[in-house]
Amino acid sequence: MINNPVIFYTASVLIIIFALLSLFAKNVICSLLSAIGVFLLGALFFYILGSEYNAIIQAAIYGLAVPVIIGVSIMFTQGGKYERTKSYVMPYITAMCAGIFVLAFVYLVMMSLVMTPDTFNIMENSQISVFDNLSAFAHGIFVNYVWAFELVSLLLTIIIAGLSMFNGRRNV
Amino acid sequence: MYNYLFIGLLLFLAGLVGSILVKNVIKVLISIEFMLLGVNINFVTFASYCDNVVFNGCIMALFYVGIGAVELAVALYIFYLMFRKKENDNIEKYSDL
Repeated sequence: MINNPVIFYTASVLIIIFALLSLFAKNVICSLLSAIGVFLLGALFFYILGSEYNAIIQAAIYGLAVPVIIGVSIMFTQGGKYERTKSYVMPYITAMCAGIFVLAFVYLVMMSLVMTPDTFNIMENSQISVFDNLSAFAHGIFVNYVWAFELVSLLLTIIIAGLSMFNGRRNV
Repeated sequence: MYNYLFIGLLLFLAGLVGSILVKNVIKVLISIEFMLLGVNINFVTFASYCDNVVFNGCIMALFYVGIGAVELAVALYIFYLMFRKKENDNIEKYSDL
C-alpha cells in the first residue's frame, strides 16, 4: 500500500475531471478517451491500495479491451460522422497540453516520493507483501468462492453461446 | 480510508448523474461502468483496510470487473442491433425496448 497524499489527490482530481469530461463532451470519441483515463486511474487507485492483481485486471480489461469494444461500436454506429471536422492545429495543441500535464504529474510524483508524511492514513496497521496478497487471492477464488467462480464462468459461457446462436439465427 | 471511499462515492454519483442526464446510449453505458468502478474502489478499500487476511472485497471486485465487461459487450451488441433499425443513438428513441 502506498501512502502518498500527492499521488492520491492528483489522481483524485484527474479521475473526477476525466469522468465529467467523459459524460459531458460532445464528441463521443473524446468521451471514450476520457473514459480510458478514468479506468486507468481506477487501476492506479487499486495499485495504491495494495491490490496489484486487481490493478492489472482493471488496466487490462477496462483500459484495453473495453475501449476496443466501445470504439468498434462507435465505428459501426457513427462512422463518417466526424470526418468533415478536420483541424490541423488542434492535435498539436492537445498533444502539447497532454505533454505538459504528464510532465507535471511525473514531477509531482517524484517530489511526493521525497516528502511523505506518516499521518496520511492513520488507520493503516500492517503492511502486507505482494505474495500474501496473491496467495489470498488464489485461496479466495479457488477454495472459498469456487462455486461463485464456476457460476460466473458458466454465465459467461452461456452469454457467449447465446449471442453466437442469436447472431447465427439472424443471418439465416 | 475515508478519502478512498469519498472518491468511490464521487465516481458512483458521476455515473448515476450521467446515466440519468445523458442522452447518448454509449455514454450511458460508460456511466454505468463508472458506477461499477466506484463500487469496486469501495470494495478494494474495505478489503485493504479492514481485511488483511482473506481479501473478500478484492475477489468481489474481480468478479464485478468480469461481469461488468461482459454486460457492456452484450449491451453494446443489443444497441448495435437496435441501431440498425432506428439509425439514431439518442436513448429517447429506444423507449420501446
